[in-house]
Amino acid sequence: MTNLTQTQVRERIEKNLASRHRTEKLFRGLGIASIAFGVLAVVILFSDIIGKGSGAFMQASIQLEVHYDTEVLGIDQVDDESLTWANFSGVIRQALRERFPSVTGRSDKRELYTLVSSGAPFTLRDRLAENPELLGKSEVVWFAADDDVDTFIKSLKDSKEGFRGRTSDQKAGWIEQLLETGELKKRFNTIFFTNGDSREPEQAGIRAALMGSLFTLLVTLALSFPIGVAAAIYLEEYAPKNRWTDLIEVNINNLAAVPSIVFGLLGLAIFINFFELPRSAPLVGGLVLTLMTLPTIIISSRAALKAVPPSIREAAMGMGASRMQVVFHHVLPLAMPGMLTGAIIGMAQALGETAPLLMIGMVAFIVDVPGGVTDPATVLPVQIFLWADSPERAFVERTSAAIMVLLSVLILMNASAVMLRKKLERRW
Amino acid sequence: MSTMTLDAAERTESARSELTGKKVAVSQAEVRKTVGQPFSDTAKLRMRDVNVFYGESQAIHNVSLDIGRNEVVAMIGPSGCGKSTFLRCLNRMNDTIEGCRVEGELSLDGEPIYGAKVDVVPLRARVGMVFQKPNPFPKTIYENVVYGPKIHGIASRRADLDEIVENSLRRAGLWNEVKDRLDKPGTGLSGGQQQRLCIARAIAVSPEVILMDEPCSALDPIATARIEELIDELRENYTIAIVTHSMQQAARVSQRTAYFHLGHLVEVNDTETVFTNPEHELTEAYITGRFG
Amino acid sequence: MEMHFDQHISRQFNEDLEGIKTEMLEMGGMVARQVADAVDALSNADSQLAEEVLRIEEEIDRREMALDEHATLIIAKRQPAASDLRMVMSVIRIARDLERIGDEASKIAKMAIALTDEGTSPRGYTEIRHLANAVRKMLNDALDAYTRFDVESAMHTLAEDEQVDMDYRTAVRELVTYMMEDPRSISRVINVLWTLRALERIGDHAKNICEQVVYLVEGADIRHGHLRNLKQS
Repeated sequence: MTNLTQTQVRERIEKNLASRHRTEKLFRGLGIASIAFGVLAVVILFSDIIGKGSGAFMQASIQLEVHYDTEVLGIDQVDDESLTWANFSGVIRQALRERFPSVTGRSDKRELYTLVSSGAPFTLRDRLAENPELLGKSEVVWFAADDDVDTFIKSLKDSKEGFRGRTSDQKAGWIEQLLETGELKKRFNTIFFTNGDSREPEQAGIRAALMGSLFTLLVTLALSFPIGVAAAIYLEEYAPKNRWTDLIEVNINNLAAVPSIVFGLLGLAIFINFFELPRSAPLVGGLVLTLMTLPTIIISSRAALKAVPPSIREAAMGMGASRMQVVFHHVLPLAMPGMLTGAIIGMAQALGETAPLLMIGMVAFIVDVPGGVTDPATVLPVQIFLWADSPERAFVERTSAAIMVLLSVLILMNASAVMLRKKLERRW
Repeated sequence: MSTMTLDAAERTESARSELTGKKVAVSQAEVRKTVGQPFSDTAKLRMRDVNVFYGESQAIHNVSLDIGRNEVVAMIGPSGCGKSTFLRCLNRMNDTIEGCRVEGELSLDGEPIYGAKVDVVPLRARVGMVFQKPNPFPKTIYENVVYGPKIHGIASRRADLDEIVENSLRRAGLWNEVKDRLDKPGTGLSGGQQQRLCIARAIAVSPEVILMDEPCSALDPIATARIEELIDELRENYTIAIVTHSMQQAARVSQRTAYFHLGHLVEVNDTETVFTNPEHELTEAYITGRFG
Repeated sequence: MEMHFDQHISRQFNEDLEGIKTEMLEMGGMVARQVADAVDALSNADSQLAEEVLRIEEEIDRREMALDEHATLIIAKRQPAASDLRMVMSVIRIARDLERIGDEASKIAKMAIALTDEGTSPRGYTEIRHLANAVRKMLNDALDAYTRFDVESAMHTLAEDEQVDMDYRTAVRELVTYMMEDPRSISRVINVLWTLRALERIGDHAKNICEQVVYLVEGADIRHGHLRNLKQS
């Protein structure tokens, strides 16, 4: 470098300054642009899903005055046996005929009956089972409307005509008539949260899938967290650094990148074919997801252990603490927040997993809400997959609604991870 | 690394001979023999021909040294000279370092420090340690002090523990400053207070020897002066080995000073002698800030 | 042991140490000339030269204070250890000895003025010249030894002090006979005696300088009869 005077140096610096500022601005602009892109993607995704799915939380319902006529029902007392074969649909049909006395033709009547959901008799049965004294009396009941009615009145908002589909002019007329009198209106959709899956969109709910997910995650958490943490502690604190531990480390990192469907196949081969565990059960799903989340938990737990300052370890060791005391008294409490965060992220990953569960039969059509880890069940993402596949138009909004529920659970889990971290973190 | 230091040594030597016209005789052979008085009649810690290896490379070469009862021995020397490594041999803190191997005879009151049958847990209760960076546990002041007595089963009754806490903190000169906030986190104290808390924590298990690894390097002069004063007081009851980078500190707190150079113990002498008239050329060069 | 004061990592430290050493040696040179001038003024009855000696004395005092300050600053800033510390300490001590030698030279100069006023008398002057030569040689040798960190030469010079002391005692005895022979000469002989006494003191200070050379190089304090200890060890 030639000798420069201070003024020359300053001149050169100033010459450079403009371009340096420019690059700086450019870089900052790029950063802002990429964040904007991300935010935009999220906004589009959420607005699309919410726009489509929010309708599912409201369900068209029809108000009918029903008479629990012993003759029509064909029973004279309320007990378990009589309730199973009582003719509740007859009562509903009678109520519909009474509401629309002008309808006479056979085919017209049949069309009239499609106004209410085919699940309506069950609603009535449940009411009577709860209130046996209603037998022989009359009462006003809200029934879920058929999904065609639901779709039609929800689409009225968008265009004057509305989406007709299978709805005839005559039926549209009845619907408008009921709408005017307030006997048909949109009410909060409790069925969506209380029912299991169904072929009828208006009767389909996410409860079964939600419970399935819950049981699966419980199994996953109960297995993967202790195993993952124990493995991480051993590898980080006890294992000697040699070729074997290097090999194990490489393999753990590899496992984290194995496609999840492979774990599904593994689960099918080992847990179902070899150990003969029940198909479609959250137990098997949990086991498979444990295999899948273990690497994530081990890696994040090891990172958390590594982040504990060595000075704390030295201090404890210098006091004469044994290796286990060092780990359990000092290292683990400090690493816990990081480990929990890792576990929750792993759980969130497991919650959203579909592919491996397809392999072990958790994709079956299951109507009943599972009561334990061995009952057949499905999970939220699989339920979304199933609904997205269904032809009925009303399932479109239910699919989006289920996605919304899944996303809320995920947000809840991640938020709790942050909260847990804040609470446990001891940065004194 | 060793080749680099060798280069530096050669360069210094040639620079010297240019300046003086004479070859200064500092051969490797000369470094290998410790000058001065490395031995003591009242040896608490006795080390003979200690060699420490990190894998293939040797960090300590044939060091023999006694640390006398109720004596403060300062270990000085340039960075990487092995003084910390040597200090950590004395309570086997090197055990955790992968590939670290210690050879030679080390004993505490005649009992071997290394050996298949020796349990490090009671050893470390007898040989406490204070580290370079104040490292209190992220717990309360009280819990910090009682941790040692608890794990060693020295005391478990609340009253006994309270007594230990008060005694230890008093000895560490911290009691008056923290007696009203024993339930506050130890990490909330100032750097100097934290270091004194660490000393209190170390003496809570009544060790016989305290090893200090640059205990004041992270502290301001006032906190340093407090710690030095404390070391002087602790000498009555404990044997202390201190590694320090501050020559003035070594001069102030120790009775004997050991100078390490490239893993060799070059000179051990009364601190007064080392700082006014060291025997070895290398010691002289180091303490007076010459190229060495 | 070799002495190298030019190998500190801090160049400023090298310069500081070199600086006080140079200042001290310059002061030594001035003092040595002062002693020579004072003795010359006396033997040649040159009161003008004697006045000059007195004038230089102020300069010496000023230099001693400056040297003290510089040495203090080095201690404050560098906290010298080992040979550096001994260097600073020896410079401080030697400066004080030099200043005292300067005082003694002034005394001789004052004596020269007094004796010149009274008129010259050859009696006692031979002894003065003899002792003065010995003492001047000692002082020069001592400063030389310091410059070269030469312990051997310092020890040699050190031994000369005994001879100076003996010469002094012989001269005193001789002068006492003069006084007994001729009581009228008493006051003048007393002046000569004082001069001899001053020269003997200068010899003692030169001896101190030699002791500092030993201290600086060997790190051993041989003041107050500790010489034997050094020889034994």
